[in-house]
Formats: sequence, C-alpha cells, structure tokens
Amino acid sequence: MSGSGIDDVHALEPEDFIEEVHSFEHWFEAVEGYLKGLDHGHLPDVAEALLTAEERDRLIATFCSYAVAETAALEASSGLIAIAPNRHAKIFLSTQTVDEGRHVEVMLHRLRELGVPDPEAEVERRAGPSVRNLRKKILQLVEAHEWDAAIFAQNVALETMEYTVFRAHARTADPITRDLLERVLRDERRHIGFGENELGRRIREDKKRRLWLGTVKSELDSLVLQTFEEAMEEIGVPRWDRPSLGRDYLETVNRLGLV
Amino acid sequence: MTNFLDAYSIQYWLESCPQGYLMDTDYGHPADEKEPALVIEDPVLRDAAIRTTVQLVVGERCALASSSGLVGCAPDAPSQCFLATQTLDEARHVEVFTQRLYDLGVKKKELEDVIARYANPNLVKFAEILLEKVDKKDFVAGVVGQNVVLEGMAFSVFEMMETVNRDPNPKFAHTLTGTIADERRHVGFGENRIGSLIRQYPERKSEIEQMQKDMSYFMLATFADNFRSNEMQQEVEHARDELDAGARGDATWQGVNLAQAEPAEIEAVLSDTILKDFQARLGRIGLAYQTPAKPRVAA
Amino acid sequence: MSSVDVDPGADRTRGDADETPRRRYELEDLGFDEVPKKYRKFYRRWNGPGDTIAPNEALCPVCKVIIRSPRELRAGDRLYCMACMTRVRIVAGENGGLETETLY
Repeated sequence: MSGSGIDDVHALEPEDFIEEVHSFEHWFEAVEGYLKGLDHGHLPDVAEALLTAEERDRLIATFCSYAVAETAALEASSGLIAIAPNRHAKIFLSTQTVDEGRHVEVMLHRLRELGVPDPEAEVERRAGPSVRNLRKKILQLVEAHEWDAAIFAQNVALETMEYTVFRAHARTADPITRDLLERVLRDERRHIGFGENELGRRIREDKKRRLWLGTVKSELDSLVLQTFEEAMEEIGVPRWDRPSLGRDYLETVNRLGLV
Repeated sequence: MTNFLDAYSIQYWLESCPQGYLMDTDYGHPADEKEPALVIEDPVLRDAAIRTTVQLVVGERCALASSSGLVGCAPDAPSQCFLATQTLDEARHVEVFTQRLYDLGVKKKELEDVIARYANPNLVKFAEILLEKVDKKDFVAGVVGQNVVLEGMAFSVFEMMETVNRDPNPKFAHTLTGTIADERRHVGFGENRIGSLIRQYPERKSEIEQMQKDMSYFMLATFADNFRSNEMQQEVEHARDELDAGARGDATWQGVNLAQAEPAEIEAVLSDTILKDFQARLGRIGLAYQTPAKPRVAA
Repeated sequence: MSSVDVDPGADRTRGDADETPRRRYELEDLGFDEVPKKYRKFYRRWNGPGDTIAPNEALCPVCKVIIRSPRELRAGDRLYCMACMTRVRIVAGENGGLETETLY
C-alpha cells in the first residue's frame, strides 16, 4: 500500500478498492494533505476580518447551529460503530467519528475566536430549533439500531445538507471561516460517499429495504428542509439566491432509487 | 477542566499522532520491515504468533466498541472529542493487529474463523463486563473499565511484548511502540477526567469497584490460560531452541529477563505489575482497589 | 500531456467494444490534496460547468471531483473515486458523449 509508483488506480480489484478506502491508513494519508500545519481547523496566518457587531452576532448564531449538527454527527457516527455490519464499516466510521469530533472542536474554537467566553453554553442557548430536532431524530434511529435508516439520516440527509450549506457559506464568509469550512467540506466528501455507497450496495437487490428507506426519507424530508432553510436564513443568503438543496439531495436519492 | 482537557484535544492528537510518531509508518511500522522468516516458516512459532495476535485483536475490538459507545454519553464536548480520537486510535489498533494476522499468513476469508477459534473465553468475558456498562450508557463506570482497567492492562502487556520482540522482531516491536504511545493518552484521560466525576457521584463507587474486581479476575484467568498451558511451555522451549541468546537480546522488563524466565515467572511479573498499577491509579481517582479471586489452574 | 496510443489490449477493467487503439496520458499531480499522495495524480478539482473534461477524465456523480485515467475513456470502463469511495462506470450518453453511473 505504501508504494508510490501506481500506474493505474482504476485497475485495482473492487474488493481491494473497498478495503483500501475504508482503512485507517487511507484516511491517515488523505487528511495529511489538508490538515497539516493548521491551528484549530484553519491556517494560522489568516487574519481575522473586521466584522460589524451584527455580522459577528449572526456568525456566532450560525456556528452554534453548526456545532449542534456536528455533535449529532459525532454522536451518531460513534454510536453506529457498534452496529456496523462489518470491520471495514467499523473502521471507516471510526475515522468519521474523529472527523466529526474535529468539526465540533474547531467550531467551538471559532466561537471562542469570535469572543464567546463559554461556547458550549452559547450553543445550548442559541442553536436553531430545527437542527436540534434533526439531531434528536438521527439519534433515535441510532438508538433503535436501525443501520440503514440511521446511515441514510446521517450520511445522506445530514451530510448532504451540511455540504450544501457550508459550500454556500464559504463563498461569502470571512477568510478564517472560509478556510475552516473548506477543510471541513473535504471530510464531508468521504462521509457522503460512504453513505451512498453503503446503502447502494445494501438495497441493490432488496426491494423491501428500498421501500422502507423510501418511507424513512419521506419522514425526514420536511425536517431536513426546515433545517436547511433555517441555516440559509442564518448565513443571510437571499431566498432567490439559495443553492438548491433539493438538487444535490434528489440526485442522491435518485441514484439510490428512493423516489 | 477545560484547560487540562486541551491536552486531550483533536488538535493535539493530530499534531502528536498522525503528524508525529505515526508519520512514515505502514500499518504502524516502517514500511521496509517484515515479520522474521523464522516466525513465518516455523509452524510452531507462527501458530503462537497468530494466537497471541488474536488476543490483541479481541482486546482492541472491545476497546473500539467501548470508546465509540462512550462518545454519546460523555458529559461535555472536550470529553466527546477526546473519545473520538480514542475511537480512531482503537480502530487503528484493530487494523494493525489484523494486518499482522494477514502478514502471518491468515487468509482474509479465514479471519473471523481464526479469531473465533483462538479468542480466549476469559478475555471475552472480561470484555463483556465492560460492554455491559457501555450499553447502559454508564459513562463513569465505562471510563474506569475502559481507560483504567482495559487500557492499564493493555499498556503493560504491550510494554512486555515490545521488550520481548525488540531484538528478534523489530517490525512487531515498532507496531507495539505506536500503540503504547496511544495507550499513554488513554490511561491519562481516564485518570484525569474520572477523578472529578467520582467525587461528584460517590454513591457509584462500590458498583465500579466490583466491576474492577470482576474484570481483574477474568484478566488473571486469561493470563493463567495462556501462561500455564502445555502449548505455551512447548512454544517457549521451542523458541529458545531456535533463537540463540544473541538473537533474543536483552529482554529485561520489570527486573525479569523475559528471554530466560519460565512462563510462570512471566505470568507472575505481568499480573503483579498490572494489579499494582490498578491499585495506584484507582487510589489516585478515589476508588478502593479490590483484590480479585485467584483463577483456578486449568486442568 | 497526452502521447500517441500504444495500448492495443483489452482487459477486464475496460469496455473494449471499440478495438481501435486508445490515446495514453501521462498524469501529474494537480494539487488534489484529499487522497493519499500516491493517488493524487488520478484526481483533480472540478471548476464548474465551464470546465473542459478531457477524454481521459470523468466527473464523479457523487462528489463532483474529476476522476482521471492514464488512458482515453470508453463506454464500459470502470473508474474509482477515492475522494468519496465510489465505483463508477462510463456509459454512452444520450448526446453521444460519455457519462458516468455509480456501481454499488
């Protein structure tokens, strides 16, 4: 695995590819590219922008909601390890657990950088109601040991929403927030991919499972969309300029056949 | 609390572990290191290496299940973040020891069968006691069981094995060095974080102390099965016949030369070291160490 | 970046209905830092709808990263996206071009 002279990665056998990309070794070498030399999730030499009191307050509220979403992902990904159906999934979810833990940590630290003395208390006080409800719903599915439904809720619905929101926010954010979010987005790519591929494999020839997941999706849709709208309000994206969460989300559920 | 937990942050972990002592390693050791030919080619030594490594995989799977299960019931974000790093450390340990099984010739399709065949039943019971606490979302008992008892045991076992393998098997010794460095953080967190929680919930003490006693019993029973078995006696004699004194090197650990000591002597020094360590750690966090019953000698 | 094709053979990872030789490409690291160093040359960032996708490249439908192959792509080829762990297959699109579909 350590050899550098790889002629064609696409010539790998499918089983070898699956084993490789789910391993700690792969994660370890992948994150090294974009996490080395950072200070709490962003480059240390990026200067803090001058924010008005209103802008700062809005950013604090936004990070409070982000922290709840990331805590949900941390708790869910760690909770899913115990019920993961194989060793590869367990090891991948362990890497996701530390990714999510990193996101929680850098977001709480960003709140500190923005002048919040007790970030955890601030999150408790200011996070939006929809994201709290979404967290509760995801953790219920994990608690119930509903592997497929929980992976859908977390790695497809929540992660797709975060991916869309963070990308939209990064476009207009101050330099530190942008750098931080762009590095979080690099992690999210793995999480979304894991969710879609894991579910894709499992429902490929199982019609019952696909129908059941379709029901879970319908139940989650309104909660996900509410959370998305709430986040868009917080980051101040005008309604007419909002990226289509529906587009990314629908593309995924279409590929999975969950329509 | 926040300040001390900064030393257990993901930022610190990234700098010290992936960007520190694991840099330029391949499954925990330098990429050019291989299992010694003698271990691969000699069926007795290979079998012994597989059996030993299976116990490490079993222990690390338990640690992975436990640390991941504790994230959701940790009382604060810094503790959750630390347990996230521990989860990944444990997953890495599962992976590197599983890879060692493959390096020793275990086929991927045979992995679970090999583990089921060789896993020591007492080690499985040890794990079940801990995982029962984790299933109940009992954070205090879970952290004591995981980060004091399980990790304390692993810390000494790995240190002893690293000493034995340093000269004859540098690849395995280096793999163990990285896991020992991880365990140091884990036991440190256990002691530092749990002390305040024990003071907060003094009514939990007796139940947690009983858990330590039960886990310690099954740990000793695992050692007894291992060190007192006829297979172990034969393997030790065989290994000493095959390896001359020079190749065995200086394997002194806790004052005992492991390259020359009898299995019973090794069992005694290992058990004694771990139990004394438990006693000291538990004392520091405000728990009274409970002496476990002595396991029966296997027939 | 490309050189004349010297790749006549069929193999099991490729769609080979078309027997004509394929053009080969010398890949270099274009700074995609989300996969281990040894795999970086097989990927690059996508710059949006205006980005020209070369004959040896395909857009990952899941994570929108450009996957690169050392050979010109044809329908039936299999590719791996290591950024999101997806297997994709190249298929002929309705407009005569090549498209990707996920393989679970």
